[in-house]
Amino acid sequence: MLYIKCPYCGMRSQNEFAYGGDATVKRPELNKEVSDKEWDTFVYLRKSPRGKHLELWHHVSGCRQWFKAQRDTVTHEIFKTAEIKEDI
Amino acid sequence: MKSISPLENVLKKGLYGDHEDKNESNLTKVKEIKNLLIVQIVQYKNSSSQIKDVSIDGLSLPHEALKVTANSDSRILWCGPKNWLLVSNKKDLLQTVQKSFTENDFAVTDLSHSRAIIELEGENSKEILKKGCPYNFNELRKNNCVNSVFNGITITIDMTNDNPINLRLFALRSFGESLFHSITDACLEEGYKVY
Repeated sequence: MLYIKCPYCGMRSQNEFAYGGDATVKRPELNKEVSDKEWDTFVYLRKSPRGKHLELWHHVSGCRQWFKAQRDTVTHEIFKTAEIKEDI
Repeated sequence: MKSISPLENVLKKGLYGDHEDKNESNLTKVKEIKNLLIVQIVQYKNSSSQIKDVSIDGLSLPHEALKVTANSDSRILWCGPKNWLLVSNKKDLLQTVQKSFTENDFAVTDLSHSRAIIELEGENSKEILKKGCPYNFNELRKNNCVNSVFNGITITIDMTNDNPINLRLFALRSFGESLFHSITDACLEEGYKVY
């Protein structure tokens, strides 16, 4: 079982969390003209790295906060977690 | 108007499980807690209001994760950043809470009828929860609370006492019966008393 350190509640089991996808994806600026290609890239295009990956997780059965986690996609080791406003 | 208990159809008083030849006072006790005021208090993210000076029934809002401030009637549970749960015997406290927290800064929601509350009492209480909940209960002390899952059901656990161990479990009202079945299933091994 994977243990994840929630920045608010501390070390908890993976059962309490939901995976929220790639944390590096940035939404196009509001009110800016966006081409179909840019929108397609934002909605669908994801990297699938082997190794360190910055992810969003949701402590859905705990404090219900979103946070960032840096995880190794091969070993599942979690190097660091941080609040959503913080940088990793 | 008569209030209907969330566990009315499942809770039957008696001794169950492996209780024979055991001292009744040593069995885990399971009961439903009813008629409590439950209020969720959430401070909006863009609110700059200071909560240090706010007091409800003489209690401050806990800042620290998993902490509970309590007196004989009321308890305030930390449920997340800027998120608290007030649980009290005093039903009239709701009006005080609504006056204390301005509408522009806080969302105050009465959840009294939307939760089922099960109380576990006895030395085996933590062992029972360990069967379905991944939280490390060795870390849980008196006046601590934790949000977690028990056999897939999202619950809030509030440790009200440590001698004897007394734990209150809050679940959504609609999950109350399932939670009761799950908890009593876990209690069978050591025997338990519903009262």
